[in-house]
Amino acid sequence: MLKCKHVVAKADALVDGAPMTRRERFALRLHLLMCHHCRRYIRQLRALLSTLPRETDALDDARTQEVLDRLNIPQDR
Amino acid sequence: MDPTLESPEFIERLRQGDQAAFGQLVKAHHNMLLATARTMLSSADAEEAVQDGWIAAHRAISKFEGRSLLRTWLTRIVINQARMMLRKGGREIQFDPTDEQDALAHRFRDGGHWDHPPQHWDLSGPDALLTRDELRHCMEKTLGKMPDNQRLVLELRDLQGMDFDDICNMLDVSASNVRVLLHRARARLFELVDHFQETGEC
Repeated sequence: MLKCKHVVAKADALVDGAPMTRRERFALRLHLLMCHHCRRYIRQLRALLSTLPRETDALDDARTQEVLDRLNIPQDR
Repeated sequence: MDPTLESPEFIERLRQGDQAAFGQLVKAHHNMLLATARTMLSSADAEEAVQDGWIAAHRAISKFEGRSLLRTWLTRIVINQARMMLRKGGREIQFDPTDEQDALAHRFRDGGHWDHPPQHWDLSGPDALLTRDELRHCMEKTLGKMPDNQRLVLELRDLQGMDFDDICNMLDVSASNVRVLLHRARARLFELVDHFQETGEC
């Protein structure tokens, strides 16, 4: 029988959808069926990871041009 | 991310030396690459690493074979630039996990079951825990204080959504080590949010 500590250690692979043996997956499912603390841990971990502050903005045109200007592209193009 | 920026047509334009296409690439990826470099370097050094990365990418783009996503290829270049800069300063990122315990370890009894189980977090509604400004602020602080190796792995996997195996390859670190570092980074954040839920403080 898996212990909560092991479930928490394996939770990362679970939320990442990493490959797991059938036996591992079954043991996890069985534990989660019975343990609401671990169910809560996994639910909240997923929510947490989906709200981390991401850097997704595009660079503005002026800065883009600055980067391009410093590439030393031959002038004959 | 605009999917056309990974399309074979776009890659062919880049390989042919199309400067407008290269400009699009810079525009779309620069800030993401900067975020990656900042996990290892100061802001000023990160700017330099990314600029040097663009120069290297521009030189090598005609030989890009499309065996990975462009985004992954660029990230690998910038990480290599950043590691080179660290080495010049006599520093290096170690990816072998130390034998520290993760941030949640103290919450289990000796038998391995929860002693201090997670609090219930309010995940929806206008005052949902994870959207609160004070908590966002605490998170930024925790991210800033995190060891570089954990912060980098977290950045690549959870903030940029890179493929786990790609991360192991680009860092040249074993999957089990990346797993441990990622778990430790996430455990710190979980512990932070749970503590905030309980006390209202960082």
